[in-house]
Amino acid sequence: MADEDVSPQSSYHRNAIKTSVHNTSAQRRRQLAVAVGKERREALIRTKRLCREALFDDNEASLEGNMNIDEERAVLNAQASQIIEDLKSAMTYQGKGAAQKKVEALRALRRLLSKSEIPPVKAALQAGAVPLLVQCLSFGSPDEQLLEAAWCLTNIAAGEPEETKSLVPALPLLVAHLGEKSSVPVAEQCAWALGNVAGEGDELRNILLAQGALLPLARLMMSDKGSTARTASWALSNLIKGPQPNAATELIRIKGVLDAIIQHLRNLDDELATEVAWVIVYLSALSEAAVRLLVKSDVVHLLVGKLASSESLQLLIPVLRSLGNLVAADSYMTDMVLVVGHNTTDQILLGLIKCLKSEHRVLKKEAAWVLSNIAAGSVGHKELIFSSEATPLMIHLLSSAPFDIRKEVAYTLGNLCVAPAKNAEQPSIIVHHLVALVNRECISAFIHLVRSADIQSAKLGLQFLELVMRGMPNGEGPKLVEREDGIDAMERFQFHENEEMRNMANGLVDKYFGEDYGLDE
Amino acid sequence: MAMEVTQILLNAQSVDGSIRKHAEESLKQFQEQNLSAFLLSLSNELVSNEKPVDSRKLAGLVLKNALDAKEQHRKSELAQRWLSLDIAVKAQVKACLLQTLASPVPDARSTASQVIAKIAGIELPQKLWPELIGSLLSNIHQLQPHVKQATLETLGYLCEEVSPQVVDQDQVNKILTAVVQGMNASEGSSDVRLAATRALYNALGFAQANFSNDMERDYIMRVVCEATLSQEVKIRQSAFECLVAISSTYYDKLASYMQDIFTITAKAVREDEEPVALQAIEFWSSICDEEIDILDEYGGDFTADSDIPCYYFIKQALPALVPMLLETLLKQEEDQDQDEGAWNLAMAGGTCLGLVARTVGDDIVPLVMPFIEENITKPDWRQREAATYAFGSILEGPSPDKLTPIVHVALSFMLTALMNDPNNHVKDTTAWTLGRIFEFLHGSTVETPIITPENCQQILTVLLQSMKDVPNVAEKACGALYFLAQGYEDVGAVSPLSPFYQNIIQALLTVTRREDAGESRLRTAAYETLNEIVRCSTDETAPIVMQLVPVIMMELHQTLEAQKLSSDEREKQNELQGLLCGCLQVIIQKLGAAETTKYGFMQYTDQIMDLFLRVFACRNATVHEEAMLAIGALAYATGTNFLKYMQGFYPYLEMGLQNFEEYQVCAITVGVVGDLCRALEDKILPFCDGIMTQLLKDLSSNQLHRSVKPPIFSCFGDIALAIGENFEKYLIYAMPMLQSAAELSAHAVADDDDILEYTNQLRNGILEAYSGILQGFKSSPKTQLLMPYAYHILQFIDTLYSEKDMDDAVMKTAIGVLGDLADTLGSHVGPLINQSVSSKGFLEECLSSDDGLIKESADWAKLAISRAVSG
Repeated sequence: MADEDVSPQSSYHRNAIKTSVHNTSAQRRRQLAVAVGKERREALIRTKRLCREALFDDNEASLEGNMNIDEERAVLNAQASQIIEDLKSAMTYQGKGAAQKKVEALRALRRLLSKSEIPPVKAALQAGAVPLLVQCLSFGSPDEQLLEAAWCLTNIAAGEPEETKSLVPALPLLVAHLGEKSSVPVAEQCAWALGNVAGEGDELRNILLAQGALLPLARLMMSDKGSTARTASWALSNLIKGPQPNAATELIRIKGVLDAIIQHLRNLDDELATEVAWVIVYLSALSEAAVRLLVKSDVVHLLVGKLASSESLQLLIPVLRSLGNLVAADSYMTDMVLVVGHNTTDQILLGLIKCLKSEHRVLKKEAAWVLSNIAAGSVGHKELIFSSEATPLMIHLLSSAPFDIRKEVAYTLGNLCVAPAKNAEQPSIIVHHLVALVNRECISAFIHLVRSADIQSAKLGLQFLELVMRGMPNGEGPKLVEREDGIDAMERFQFHENEEMRNMANGLVDKYFGEDYGLDE
Repeated sequence: MAMEVTQILLNAQSVDGSIRKHAEESLKQFQEQNLSAFLLSLSNELVSNEKPVDSRKLAGLVLKNALDAKEQHRKSELAQRWLSLDIAVKAQVKACLLQTLASPVPDARSTASQVIAKIAGIELPQKLWPELIGSLLSNIHQLQPHVKQATLETLGYLCEEVSPQVVDQDQVNKILTAVVQGMNASEGSSDVRLAATRALYNALGFAQANFSNDMERDYIMRVVCEATLSQEVKIRQSAFECLVAISSTYYDKLASYMQDIFTITAKAVREDEEPVALQAIEFWSSICDEEIDILDEYGGDFTADSDIPCYYFIKQALPALVPMLLETLLKQEEDQDQDEGAWNLAMAGGTCLGLVARTVGDDIVPLVMPFIEENITKPDWRQREAATYAFGSILEGPSPDKLTPIVHVALSFMLTALMNDPNNHVKDTTAWTLGRIFEFLHGSTVETPIITPENCQQILTVLLQSMKDVPNVAEKACGALYFLAQGYEDVGAVSPLSPFYQNIIQALLTVTRREDAGESRLRTAAYETLNEIVRCSTDETAPIVMQLVPVIMMELHQTLEAQKLSSDEREKQNELQGLLCGCLQVIIQKLGAAETTKYGFMQYTDQIMDLFLRVFACRNATVHEEAMLAIGALAYATGTNFLKYMQGFYPYLEMGLQNFEEYQVCAITVGVVGDLCRALEDKILPFCDGIMTQLLKDLSSNQLHRSVKPPIFSCFGDIALAIGENFEKYLIYAMPMLQSAAELSAHAVADDDDILEYTNQLRNGILEAYSGILQGFKSSPKTQLLMPYAYHILQFIDTLYSEKDMDDAVMKTAIGVLGDLADTLGSHVGPLINQSVSSKGFLEECLSSDDGLIKESADWAKLAISRAVSG
């Protein structure tokens, strides 16, 4: 048996200085060979990156441009400080033409802050712009001064988060100037500034709500003047974004708001309709009270009308999302509004089909989402969708579309195959829908979803496989699933960390591919 | 439960092979079938004084092997098995072992000591066997010297097995006290004293606290120094070994003892027996190691930080140290140049002299020159050889300014000596010294060239002539030529070697075919030198390299044809195949890299590939390694055309990836997968299922050496870069692996440089994988599949940034990944990136880095991020 050297300090000695070349040369050669591979990887990655950098340059300012921008920035910063100094001295000047001096200084500042691509906001703030501008907003100031000051603040609020926050001392006055006593241009400019502030985040939104910005903005939205209503709607949509739903509920309860929404949707002005539709998006997403009122109003018909008729991407996105929110939130929509046989129902389906065919990925996705909610409705809805052009479109998307659309489509197609659940029973299967989908080779696409890293999609896939194995006539489901490698896909979840998925997949495999499987062949 | 195993143990040592084999089998079966009974039987055998010493010794050895193994995986498996045994069984085994320490039979005691230490190594970290150290220490007070000796030996082994953190300071103090008392001159038994001295060697690592206390340290040092003067040579040797260990562990505590230590070591070097003298020299080499490290950290800048200050012990000792070392150079052995493993006073002294030169630089030159001048022309070969050796030893360290004038004078003398000296030792050392001259004083970075058009021809003539000398001299001449060529590696279009190129290659080929090329590793040196010559070829000499291709191919072909070889011959054949594959690898790399030669080379690729595939049929790790490297080079040279070889090569690729045991083969194969990815691009797709399966298996194996894991991660990146969005199906497996490895590697144990270095390699591999995957998916409709991982990737980079212990390579890759993330996922990750600390502080840090590559990656990342955030 092998005996080891047991003496504690063996005959180890350091390497002699006088050594043969082979000791180092072979090792060096191998290291060089390995290093060459690493260098090539680096080179490959660098070329890929640099090649893309060149692409960037086509769209954006070139590197040489940056040099000029730096110089330009220094000049602009110096100008900003100078103008603020001018404004300061104009504020204290009491003599003849004082008001004119102030307005001129304000206008110069506004121009500086709005003209350049890189407004010197920081420099202006450092020079003390906000307290001066607040002073310029004091009650009784001439309209022109108020307008210029609000405009300056609007541009400052459009900057970085910290810059937006610096407006806090000005907010009460900006809100105050929204009121009925203000001239329309001043009110609109203040709404704009406040919209920028509200868009920054919920902290500032809460401050604005506490300062009572909601009511005057809602009133402003009721304006007949298109630009005013639009600016106010936009500011409101920023203000009620949440995450707390209170503002949305409060808004819909303000008298005249729903009427104004309906009125503006009837208008042919797409831009106004777009901003109003965004208000509806947040109302329908956040407030149950709003949903209850909206579904029973004309809003749904108007939205469906816009969906069917408009070609504007800007408008279609909030319209689709609003409709989706409404269908998802309240069964009244499918039960009472989108009744099978009604014109509105046919129209929405046509609109959705148009969006599914569109080139725009967002439209496709939103449309698929709305459809999935409608497909969750009655058997009649399912049959209507199934017999429409939407189904072949979706089958195509199921195998070819980007992942997020595929998921929505899968959800819809899955919904088409099950009747609404009664009590707590397993939902019954609409067999001819299922068979039709299986005949059009949907199984592999669903198995693809099962293999997805996204748990929700994988679950969708598993649910569909369950339908196939339970519902296909003559019990041929398991065989079909097996043929598409479905067992392998399900067995991946055998030890999955997600317990629900693990149980679901293991349950299916046990039930349909257990001990008895294949015995009768 | 215990069984009688005496006869089996005796049979296991029988001279009759079949009896031995049978006995070994029985023991193995016994161990597998009933471990408890097996261990009890062995410990009973070991403790029984009436049993023959041979069976007892083997019982202890088998016991030890049942508790410990070299291979890490097996080691922890054995430890687990021991821990899971019945507590009564373990107690009984331990009792037998402790009892054996009192046995009158020395071999039984010694084996028991080692087994006890192994068990302690398993149990003490688990807070088990707390009474062990106490009961050992109580033995120390026994009167019988042999018990005392065995106990000290056990304590020594124990300190070797167990890490210092496991033993509390109180027990450490007691162990040290017992050990140092045992070493004391007043100890009557020299066996006890020797065991104590050896135990101290292992216990030194435990003595941090004691070495920080002046009184305790003084005491320990005094006892160690006294032991170096013992009557017993083994005690003296062991005491010097302790001094060597102290010099590296407690360098910064030595100042007040250096004067005494110099006196002791000088006396030992001059007067003591060789084993003792060697350790005395080793003490100074070890001090050099420490000071070279510290000065390295200073980096030439004396204000820079090092944890430990340099005390310049070598510089202070220089005037006395150098003469002492020079004296040793004259004590050569007659045949030392033929024996590769030789180690004697002269070799140790020269090695130490070389370290001293590296430590003090220019200062050594005036101290050594008189010795060289006085001895280099003496009739006694020993004096000429010692002078030459001294010269060769000090060529690294001193500045070229100092050395170049001397080398100019010495060069022609050396060339003459290499041709004409009657003594082989002198010629051997002369050729080696020439190699050192070329290694350190010749090359594109050296200002004043040593080699001029005038002397180049003479140098080459002498070197080529020396290659016909006896093998050891020829081997050193090859080495000199190797470094000569290396110095011309980046010489540009015209090389001074070109006129001699054909002759050099011919001479080297002739050497490889010498009958005696197997001696002194001559053949290996000749091939490696040939490789270096190929590597430094220029456009002018490329046609000569091209002519070399069929020659080397033919050589390789012949090795494959050889049949019915003895195992000895086969081993030599394998070695030769490895050398030939290595040579082809360098040739392919060289010829494949230039457009001018690539086309001509392509005519050979079919045949070369055919040869490589035949090489794989031989079962030898080194050969596989070399063939793999060569195939990597071939793939790069042939590009997508390599596809036609894939069918034939793939089985060997898979085999390489499965080679856990020879992990270097596995590592190189992983690298070759990367080469293939770059060569084949998306054409590698059909092979990816198999490759990915193997790589994932490799990663989840705890048998595979850890060093292979970082390159496997990088390899994921290579694959993703090659196959783009087709990597989709591997995401579900690869991403969780990357994530969990990332989590593990984010926080390293920073107190260990090796672990930190490995951790950074791992991080780099993971980041390269992310980079490759992100870039692979760029502009594909499937980019959103990566969205779920974006947060984790960012978090990983954030953590790395906050840990502050990544190296430059990781930094560069990490900032690149940040850019890739922004570039590939665009505005979807804008908000995420905005929130991360990396996008601010880390990016800023990289933007202001001195490292051009880091800055370049950071500039790019900044651009990509600004786009993602604004889009």
